[in-house]
Amino acid sequence: MQPTLRFLTGILLASILWIPVLQAQNLEESQVGRFQLAESFLRAAQYERAIGMLETLYEESPGTHVFYERLREAYESVKRYDAAIALVDRKMATESAPTSFLAEKARLLFLKGDEAGARAQWDAAIATNPSSPSVYLLVYRSLMDLRLFDWAIDVLEKGRTSMDNETLFQTDLAYLYNLTSQPAKAVEKYLELLSLNQNQLSYIKSQLSQFLTSPEAIEECLVVARDGVAREPLNRAYREFLGWLLVEGDAFREALEVYRGIDRLEREQGRMLFGFGLVAADGGAWDVALEAFDEVLQRYPEAASAPEAMRGLAMMQEKWAEEVGERVFDTAGNRLESSHWDEALATYQRFLIEYPQHPQYPDVLRRIGALQQDVFFDLPAAETVLTEVVSRYPQTDAADQAAYDLGRLAVTEGRLEDARMAFTRLLTRLRTGDLADLARYELALLHFYQGDFEAAESFTRAMQENTSTDVANNAIDMKVLLIESMGPDSLNTPLRRFARIQLLTRQRDYNVAEHQLDDLMDEFGQHALADDMMMQKAELQARSGQSEAAISTFLQIPLLFPRGFFGARALMLAADLQTEIGLEEDALRTYQRVLTEFPGSLLIPRVRESIRRLRGENV
Amino acid sequence: MMMTRNVILFLFLAFVPSMVRAQDILIPMDESQSDHLKAYGVTFWALERSMDVDWLLNYRGGSFLLTRQSDLEAELRVRGVHFEVINGSRTAAIISEVESDATNTAVVRLEKPPRIAVYAPDQTLPWDDAVLLALNYAEVPYEMIYDDDVLQGALDEYDWLHLHHEDFTGQYGKFFSFRSTAWYIEQQRQAEMAARRNGFRKVSEMKLAVVQRIRAYVGGGGFLFAMCSGTDTFDIALAAAQTDIVPAEYDGDPVDPDAVSRLDYSNTFAFTDFRPEFNSREYEHSDIDAGLPPQPLRNPAVDYFTLFEFSAKYDQVPTMLTQNHVATVKGFIGQTTNFRKPLVKPNVVILAEAPGRNEVRYLHGTFGEGTFTFYGGHDPEDYQHFVSDEPTDLSLHKQSPGYRLILNNILFPAAKKKKQKT
Repeated sequence: MQPTLRFLTGILLASILWIPVLQAQNLEESQVGRFQLAESFLRAAQYERAIGMLETLYEESPGTHVFYERLREAYESVKRYDAAIALVDRKMATESAPTSFLAEKARLLFLKGDEAGARAQWDAAIATNPSSPSVYLLVYRSLMDLRLFDWAIDVLEKGRTSMDNETLFQTDLAYLYNLTSQPAKAVEKYLELLSLNQNQLSYIKSQLSQFLTSPEAIEECLVVARDGVAREPLNRAYREFLGWLLVEGDAFREALEVYRGIDRLEREQGRMLFGFGLVAADGGAWDVALEAFDEVLQRYPEAASAPEAMRGLAMMQEKWAEEVGERVFDTAGNRLESSHWDEALATYQRFLIEYPQHPQYPDVLRRIGALQQDVFFDLPAAETVLTEVVSRYPQTDAADQAAYDLGRLAVTEGRLEDARMAFTRLLTRLRTGDLADLARYELALLHFYQGDFEAAESFTRAMQENTSTDVANNAIDMKVLLIESMGPDSLNTPLRRFARIQLLTRQRDYNVAEHQLDDLMDEFGQHALADDMMMQKAELQARSGQSEAAISTFLQIPLLFPRGFFGARALMLAADLQTEIGLEEDALRTYQRVLTEFPGSLLIPRVRESIRRLRGENV
Repeated sequence: MMMTRNVILFLFLAFVPSMVRAQDILIPMDESQSDHLKAYGVTFWALERSMDVDWLLNYRGGSFLLTRQSDLEAELRVRGVHFEVINGSRTAAIISEVESDATNTAVVRLEKPPRIAVYAPDQTLPWDDAVLLALNYAEVPYEMIYDDDVLQGALDEYDWLHLHHEDFTGQYGKFFSFRSTAWYIEQQRQAEMAARRNGFRKVSEMKLAVVQRIRAYVGGGGFLFAMCSGTDTFDIALAAAQTDIVPAEYDGDPVDPDAVSRLDYSNTFAFTDFRPEFNSREYEHSDIDAGLPPQPLRNPAVDYFTLFEFSAKYDQVPTMLTQNHVATVKGFIGQTTNFRKPLVKPNVVILAEAPGRNEVRYLHGTFGEGTFTFYGGHDPEDYQHFVSDEPTDLSLHKQSPGYRLILNNILFPAAKKKKQKT
């Protein structure tokens, strides 16, 4: 054959073969155009027009899935469920695997209101391949679309039974049980999951926590979790899960037992107990936290967590003592035994002995110094310890804090120049921050004690500008006192003597302070400081255990100074003391006086609260 | 002898009023009041103890007059409510002034404390409820009820029902963007369980039944107060009783394509001719709500609404509901803020409106033997309260005019019914 002829023959054959393909292509382009138009109608909510076009398209090309999908959706949009079901039936008749269409039909029947018919179709879908997990999942998703959680549970449970596989659908079932307020059953599934994979614990916690909205739900979960632990006592994940649930339910005591068990079984060397101790402390369960820390120390003294546990234990004891308002001395100055303060001090001291190389050593040393100074009033011991912190561990936070404490100690001992030097050095070094502000305020107080009122005022002026600091209010109080209490002579004698009395009070020299105060009151009873002096006297009496005398003095203040600044406060403090010594009826009357006689006082909310508390109301 | 008898009679007539009411307590509700909100609470407290209370409408901001008693005085002091002790002649003068035809004031005797129900779920939702805040702060006792209770007929036990940020259309507040948060999941779950418990296939059907129960309660003489989305969704649900206006995202099936034509406005309390919002993602239930104020006014400093003044002697109910110490009240935004005036039914009394905007803030109407009051906005002291915002601390807003309007509503059912003067 000639090459030219061969070429022409080829062209002819190709043309013959391509004709139907091109025809088909033209048809598809037309359908695509109409389909796009139908979609535009759907978007414009012109459903009937869209349905007409889609029905034609589907008739023309029943194998095109997207035509089927859009037509079904369009029927649903106008709630023509019968038409949609008929469409699914037609489609199903042409499909070799009808499972998904059966589920689809079931969903449509349900939307139509035929619940029995829907259920039959879902059952039929499962019956197509009852040994396939994916069939159950398909039906489950169809049910989830309708939020039919109870039915979805039945389907998944049935799947597990019929396939005799308890490891299937655990997370789905747990989620469904949560959604249907069956937390106990959810926990059963989570335990099954944990028994297969202990690493799922975090996931389970995050899933379950959003459904633990009531104590009853937590209690239900706990019953199952306890059973799980009893069944498999060596399963660590079960125990951790139980411990977490107990903490969620604030059952710290029982949680301690659980974490104790984990720690022993898993040879954690106190790590679990220490972590739990911190959690319990955060939750305010001091006694349980203390027990956890204590156990770490008893059982695992060599463990890495032991030093932190010991420090944590001491800090807990301090907080506990503060919370219950514990004292080391009674009002007569007698030493009280077995206090949390004693425990705290002893624990800190143990820490120093057992962990001399620990990074927290300076901090613990400083804490001992502060306790000696502020709680046990053992000033020489405090000075020794704090000096050691400053000299051995310079450039540390503990050293700065110790330097500040040493300054305060010098004030208490009457070494005011030493104190000034300590605070000035600290202030120069730090310049800003809470500790710097405290040092600045101490310097103002030193000037005040020494009668240098102008210098004191200039310090207070600087401090009151920064109202966010804790000492700003104290600075403002001092400034008001300074402004209002000058005179009558150029030396401001009454204020000077009053400042000395305040220093004596700080130095716990109450008897001398009270005598000097009496003298000052005799001599300058008409001075602007007279009400301050009465308040000071009442407070001194209260501190030294003379409660009844203090009440009497407080009650005199509004009578003697009816327009004075302290009237409301004096009455309130008198009522507080009356409450403290059991005179509740008197206290109620005294609080009522505050409301009657000083209705504009800033203390009124606090007084109202006290009255309500005395009346037994929930405040 | 005759003269002596006349003197005795004169003395008797002159002194009887002051003997009967020797000393009284006036709780002023004008600017001198230190805590307007607690004043309502003490008044409620007094009613609970069968004390007589006179509400002096439009007199010093709608003051209260009570007979002096030591325990009342103590309670006023403890709660921090300012009061004045006045003698009998002063009381008589005040009463005379208030009853005078020359002033737009009136005396209303409050008789018994209403039994209050607040319609709210047990579940803690991440927004505050202004009425719960007001009742708690004012220390007014109430009980919480919800769908199950309403459907079981609990409403019969109460005089006053409050609804707040509720969605009676069954669309969960249209908080679709929060659908994956724990509180939304829980809210939906609880609602669906309640629906099933009560034999409904959909939450919207249950809510409709609840709304119809409330409607019957009002028709039978109950007092309904609703705020925020509790107002418009109430009427939307009633209007849509014969159709489905809930998008598939909320109830699994689409909106009825003929929903608009099937709305029946004759069922509603306050609104008519409105169109529901069918977009599931649009945070709006219908066009009843005028939406956010225009941009220049969307500012707490300039956004306000004005209270109408009514005749105290002839229109006592609207007067009671608008008692305040100010005539203009700070605006505040809610899912439903202001109602479009053209959509308010003509027989509804407008109590407050946004000036110059053809929008109603506060309205009142009667239905059967009872009344309803709708108040737009979410929290009168939080201009725009967002989901998860902290609840407002009312101890910082003791004189809140916006909250006063809520508390007027709880005392109004306590008023002794008087025959109209007309």
